[in-house]
Amino acid sequence: MNVPADSAILPPGIAWALLAAFSVLWVALGWYLGRNNKTAEDHMLAGRNVGLALATATAMATWVTANTTMTAPQLALQLGVWGMFGYSLGALGLILFAPLARRIRELMPHGFTSGDFIRLRFGKFTWRVFLVVSLIYAFGWLVSLAMAGGVLINALAGIDYRVGMTVILTVCVLYTLLGGLRAVIGTDFVQTIIIILGVTFIAWLTIDKVGFEAIHFNLMEERPELLNLLFPAAIMFLFNNLLFGVGEIFHSNVWWSRAFAFGRNVGFRAYLLAGLLWLPIPIVAGFVALATPALGINVPIADMVGPLVAAEVLGLTGAIVVFIVVFAALASSLDSLLAATSDLVTRDIYRGHLRPRASEQEQFHATKIMVVLLGLLTWVAASYRGEIPVVGSLAAVLYFTGAFVASAIWPVVAGLYWRRANPMGAALGMIAGTGLGLVSYFAIGFYVAALVGAAVSLAVLLVFTWLAPREFDWRRLAEAEPRNGAMANGGAP
Amino acid sequence: MMISAGALGTIVVIATGVATLAPILLIALFVHDWKRGRLW
Repeated sequence: MNVPADSAILPPGIAWALLAAFSVLWVALGWYLGRNNKTAEDHMLAGRNVGLALATATAMATWVTANTTMTAPQLALQLGVWGMFGYSLGALGLILFAPLARRIRELMPHGFTSGDFIRLRFGKFTWRVFLVVSLIYAFGWLVSLAMAGGVLINALAGIDYRVGMTVILTVCVLYTLLGGLRAVIGTDFVQTIIIILGVTFIAWLTIDKVGFEAIHFNLMEERPELLNLLFPAAIMFLFNNLLFGVGEIFHSNVWWSRAFAFGRNVGFRAYLLAGLLWLPIPIVAGFVALATPALGINVPIADMVGPLVAAEVLGLTGAIVVFIVVFAALASSLDSLLAATSDLVTRDIYRGHLRPRASEQEQFHATKIMVVLLGLLTWVAASYRGEIPVVGSLAAVLYFTGAFVASAIWPVVAGLYWRRANPMGAALGMIAGTGLGLVSYFAIGFYVAALVGAAVSLAVLLVFTWLAPREFDWRRLAEAEPRNGAMANGGAP
Repeated sequence: MMISAGALGTIVVIATGVATLAPILLIALFVHDWKRGRLW
């Protein structure tokens, strides 16, 4: 559904000016930061010595996506207080990944991708299963981010959904292409500051203008279930979202590439601090949706609720602030995902399967080509929003991938800490967890897919390891050495 | 069991307060790293 230009909150002229100004800023910053990249390692891992400030900001910015700034209000509107509290539990993914990041850096000082780890730890079959899971998730997230961009621009400025989505995607592809991970991390710092300032500004003004008494009174009158602490679907969503967030972070190369890129002794502190600072963001961004009854706002599509409330409370200023915040949030996640996914495809598909002897320079060029191809694929999928059965609302797309990511949690954790974990159990755990998670997604609802996926995957892994434990030498993980030109083969039988 | 207006307000105000402090902390860390040549 497209919002017509005459009913938009932000004049298209202002929207285009903001788009142009921030597009130039991100692209220029990306070019400047990445101008000295000479090798695939420079481009993919920013020199492997990122400090605490930039590391914390990039972890935060990547996790504060448009899904946070737009889906958190949507979930608050649909599931009430547990919707926003449940979303904030996504912070536990960052916090729990902190010790993993330290261990990853110690065990794999030369590692590039999460695929490197699975290949060396569990062997080729599990690696290929993992790549399918990881790439489906990455693509689902990319599409949901691109959709969010189109929805935002359309909701606020009346600019056609496909035009807005195309502009945002093009800008992110361009600066990721120019600067690699260094550009991504540098822009993330600026974007984090912008996002938090904007979100808190809107929240404080909503509190001031509407007030909690009015919000609470009107909800009790019109939507009392949103205040119910025993709302069953919302409680299931809470645990589902916890596992979804943990699964996303534990398996995704977005977070692994940062663990490899952060300086020694930085990863643990950066992920911990980022998680603690991220925790309140969904509550801050989400609670404004609870003000819709008090404000008398008619919400045509649930995922537009955040921008609509901000514009109602703050008028033109609110629309401008929301526009800038979501553009920054979109860019900070889209760039990370483009960079990390292109790395994964280059290392694990191109070099791992197609050209095992690819040189550093060939990988460097291949990574850039992959960024462009991923951008094009994402554009095609996001262009058909609402016209393909699965590609519906933002939340629907996001949580569709829940079964995939949650099924990878235990294979990753066991792979890092459990010497005897069975490789076939890890592979079949991901397959069975994803399969049954998807069945539950369609049979029960989006809020249980990750729960089922994680539980089934754990059960399969435990049974296989109990029946056939395998010993593993941790030193084999250090074989992910890119400079000797030899691709290490599978690490487990 | 419904959450009260007071409880809802307290949680949201604390969350917004913590979020407001985050940019200050990040900028302080940036300056700290920059002065010591540890940004990258």
